[in-house]
Amino acid sequence: MGDKKIHEDQKYIDGLLKNNSFIIQTIYDKFVPKVVNYIKQNSGDIAQAQDIVQETIITIYNQAKEKGLKLTCPFDAYFFLLCKRKWLNELKKNNKKEVTINEEVLSKDDDAQELAFETSLFGEKQALFNEMFLKLGTACKDLIKATFKIKSMEEVAASLGLTYAYARKKKSLCIGQLTKLVQESPKFNQLNY
Amino acid sequence: MEEQDYILFDQYLLEELSADERLVFEKRLDTDIEFKKSFNTYKELSNFLENKFENEEESNDFKSNLERVSNKHFSKTETPVDSKHKRGIFRIGQLAIAASVILFLGVFIFNQFSNPTYLDYNSHEPMTVVRGNVKDLIEATKAFNNEEYEIANKLIKKVLDKDPENSELKLYYAITNIELDNYKVADENLNELINGTSAYKDKALWYSALSRLKQRNIDACIILLKQVEQESEDYKQAQELLDKLE
Repeated sequence: MGDKKIHEDQKYIDGLLKNNSFIIQTIYDKFVPKVVNYIKQNSGDIAQAQDIVQETIITIYNQAKEKGLKLTCPFDAYFFLLCKRKWLNELKKNNKKEVTINEEVLSKDDDAQELAFETSLFGEKQALFNEMFLKLGTACKDLIKATFKIKSMEEVAASLGLTYAYARKKKSLCIGQLTKLVQESPKFNQLNY
Repeated sequence: MEEQDYILFDQYLLEELSADERLVFEKRLDTDIEFKKSFNTYKELSNFLENKFENEEESNDFKSNLERVSNKHFSKTETPVDSKHKRGIFRIGQLAIAASVILFLGVFIFNQFSNPTYLDYNSHEPMTVVRGNVKDLIEATKAFNNEEYEIANKLIKKVLDKDPENSELKLYYAITNIELDNYKVADENLNELINGTSAYKDKALWYSALSRLKQRNIDACIILLKQVEQESEDYKQAQELLDKLE
């Protein structure tokens, strides 16, 4: 994103990060109705719209938390594009009916397109990482969890009844195993390019 | 990649390599494409895992707050068409919201010109969203919404003992304790919420003030009311009460 100017709507991102109910409410009041209309016009119902919106906001939250997301375009366009992309993927997954793309609500804002693309990529990667993490054995899962929760590797080792050196080595190997699982999944290669 | 490579990745990321080892490592990154690809994925996964587990509590608080706002929004705007989506949340008492708003307004107008007391403000939002032991919770919800605080108090405590991190229940537990004049327990629970990161932080502050009002500790009440932030749902009420007290 380099030296692009940060949009004033960054306040929505910051509000999400602070778990500010007022901001979340505002997002629902101002930006969600348009998304609901779009999904309803494209073979979806309200319950599905509710899920898409919720998942999209969680992805934005995660990206902001992990990667320090900076908004360089209006939140409205960015958010709409993200929800739309998510909904289209959902339809594709279930092989549903053709989608009519309503050109009027499509954004011509390049920054928004770019940023929405980045965020949905981030979201899909997260989903993949989560899926692969579940494939690890219990011992690895527990060790990784403890490592990032407790921070001090000495304490982690003690809590799991392992020696420090072993816990340390094992942690690298567990994340290594996860790296392999991720790299071997066909989805990962699609996402990377 | 060999096992040794993953161990190296970790040491490099934690800056545990000597200057020489670092140079060798970085040189290999430049020349060995597979090594570089694996390292990048390893690094990305480390960041992902760190964020996932380090911020797990905070992020769960965020998700339940989001769910709450979302349910409120969607139940207000339209009735869901298909109910095959189970939300894991029950809304007993949602009907009572309208009733309690009207009741509150009535009580409020009636009391506008007299000295404020706790009873002017104790029309609580009905208990709705809860996770945990379903049977006890349904009973607790019913009792709470019927203002049978003694019964609600016992049932909520029972569920809370098994699910001590449930911030929402903690708030309702505190409210029942204010109602029953168990101020010490109420204030302790509210303090925990105020110092935490859950979505119930702001509400807890407001109730903390109400608890002091009921205890007739007006100075403490005023101090707490002044901390209610402008973005909080209770800001307006807090300002009104402040005006009356000062």
